[in-house]
Amino acid sequence: MLKLGVQTQGVIDDENPLEGFAMISRAGFSCVDFSLHGYLKNTDIYESRLNNFFDAPLAELKEFFTPHKEAAKAYGIAIHQMHMPYPIYQPKGKREVNEYLWQQVAPKSMELCAFLECRYIVVHGFKLQKYLGSEEAEWRETERFLDSILPLAKEHGIVVCLENLYDEVAGHIVEGSCAKAERVAERIDRINEKYQTEVLGFCFDMGHANLLGLDAESFLVTLGRRLKVLHLHDNDGLCDLHQIPFTFTRDRTNKASTDWEGLVRGLSKIQFDGVLNFETAPALTPFPVCMKADVLRFIGCIGEYLAGEIRRIGLTKEE
Amino acid sequence: MEIVCFASGVNGLHPRQGLQDLKQAGFDKLVLDFGWLSNVHESTLTIGRIAKKPPRSWLSLHPEAVAKVTAPYVEKFVAAGFSLPLAWAPYIGWLKDEVEAKVDLTDILTDFVTACLPVAGKAGCRYMAVSPLAPELIGSRELWEANRAYYLRLGAAARPYGVQLLLKGRCRNQNGRAVRGVGTDENMTAQWIDALNKEVGAEVFGYCLDVGIASVCGQNMYDLAVTMGHRLKAVILREASNVWGGSLLPFSLARGGESQTDWLNLIRGLRRIDFDGQLIMNCGDTLAAFSPLLRPDVLCLAKKTADYIAWQVKMEQLLAKYDTRVLFGAGNMCRNYLKCYGEQYPPLFTCDNDPAKWGTKFCGLEVRAPECLLDLPEDCAVFICNTYYRDIEEQLREMGLKNPVEFFNDEFMPSFYFERLEELAEGGAETC
Repeated sequence: MLKLGVQTQGVIDDENPLEGFAMISRAGFSCVDFSLHGYLKNTDIYESRLNNFFDAPLAELKEFFTPHKEAAKAYGIAIHQMHMPYPIYQPKGKREVNEYLWQQVAPKSMELCAFLECRYIVVHGFKLQKYLGSEEAEWRETERFLDSILPLAKEHGIVVCLENLYDEVAGHIVEGSCAKAERVAERIDRINEKYQTEVLGFCFDMGHANLLGLDAESFLVTLGRRLKVLHLHDNDGLCDLHQIPFTFTRDRTNKASTDWEGLVRGLSKIQFDGVLNFETAPALTPFPVCMKADVLRFIGCIGEYLAGEIRRIGLTKEE
Repeated sequence: MEIVCFASGVNGLHPRQGLQDLKQAGFDKLVLDFGWLSNVHESTLTIGRIAKKPPRSWLSLHPEAVAKVTAPYVEKFVAAGFSLPLAWAPYIGWLKDEVEAKVDLTDILTDFVTACLPVAGKAGCRYMAVSPLAPELIGSRELWEANRAYYLRLGAAARPYGVQLLLKGRCRNQNGRAVRGVGTDENMTAQWIDALNKEVGAEVFGYCLDVGIASVCGQNMYDLAVTMGHRLKAVILREASNVWGGSLLPFSLARGGESQTDWLNLIRGLRRIDFDGQLIMNCGDTLAAFSPLLRPDVLCLAKKTADYIAWQVKMEQLLAKYDTRVLFGAGNMCRNYLKCYGEQYPPLFTCDNDPAKWGTKFCGLEVRAPECLLDLPEDCAVFICNTYYRDIEEQLREMGLKNPVEFFNDEFMPSFYFERLEELAEGGAETC
């Protein structure tokens, strides 16, 4: 049975998590994607501007997130997945920044994932191809990073999920880390074999796939059971906008320029039974605050529609 | 490596001036573009401009007339001194519901392309780039099976003329957006090519990489080139916007002082596979945007740009051409040389105009005064590793240096100087 999930970013207020979880629950979601990356923003990491959030001892961090954990429980919401701060390596960053990200932020994120009883944590692969020359060379560095957190994943029963990313050349979108399904599948299998348990899976980001014009159906079918979590959101094919699905059109046929039908077919084909998770926090901010609950509810409706379509196609196939 | 150009700017009825401009720009090889000759426009990248229902007189419906209609153009190209090493197959860009339901478009297309093959063969084309059949053309048939049948039929028709067929990627129209279509998945397309060649028992099929399509689809062109490897016979050089497509002069689709096309990964890939096929310049939209008075100059720039890309691709071959070499310049470019090529093509020393550097070492390489170059054996090449190429070359010639002088360039290196990652992991490493 497919469940619905949504990002906590933009909804959960640290001062009063109960209110946000109540709103999420009323909007029809039973899961959340916990936005841990919101506590150390990527825009700050790019500028080597670190706040001191992850400086705190783990016990203190756990204490900080205890109200969130309890509020989620109070509303019967599962913290299904979370996002580790990213990037976890900044090629142009200061050495101490990268050491901090790798040696403090990453392991503490894993511990917090376990504390919040969250099964999946999404991480970004490194963006180093320009410097190292090839995606394979870039992957070797990502794998070295993974090897630093996967023992913790194994210990806590967490699945670290790689995500299909994009990169930019003068503002033009090009393939980034984990954008090739076959390679990803091979690497996940090899690493899980090495750790003798399922420590690595995949997060399919529909918005990123759309930016690259990827065939979502084919990508998902190649991934199969390795697909663990989703980032569902929409964009104009040019910029990573994280908007509500079905928002964008490109011509006067006024039909969706994002291949949502391909996504539905792909998820149906692999009999995905996880969480339809919406990574749409940026879609909330343009609306007046008083409409936030309505927007969330609308996103929830879209989730119900997609779940219905996935189920319908699956049933048609069975017949 | 051959430099070929689409016959951009050549008026079909009055081709003389256009051909003369191409010739004066330095091009001597052209694409025999059946799409243009037959006035059938491929829909790829022309979203929103898909041809309306064609009149019955279109050449695609009369393949028996292809040879007669195209012969005068071929004759004019050849008479003007151009060779035609690559042909461009036509593609039917109409929507299926715009023709009678009973008409099988794949049959029309197959007959049309088949009729072009003898013309291409007789015109001396070694290759013909042929787009795969897209799902909208084949209906419910399985993609590979439909394309297999299509290419095998064309392959049989091409073999007597010695024309090799090059598959290429095409975009798919996702409600007005160009997204990845058939032929863009490099692994699958490589498998198709191998399967087709195996079936015919000869190398009849290869690949043509269209930089415009790959760029619109955000593909990793290094991976594309390396996966295709020996199958890659031709590369279409153009820039295209992922909003409106187009065929723009390389490096002209710029934003913030940088081209939006990933030339770095393309050149890295082509260099890695020692590409020695055809580089096809296609800058028709850029050319058309300029006044006819300026087009000869645009074509000159197009030729120089193609030559430049070829030179970048062959950079390693240039280094290998000489048994011994020295560098000129002791800065970042020298460091990049040493990082990427220092081991395989070690320089004897480097020199620099800064007297403070003489007698010192740069990244382990001795720095000497320029005058030391005069003592070199005559076949030792001097590679200038400094962006003041022309200044330094002049300086060396004024010194009376007779040795070969070459330019080295680090814009498209296999990798860039980057050791901080190792430092992070290993607690510090010695850097130069």
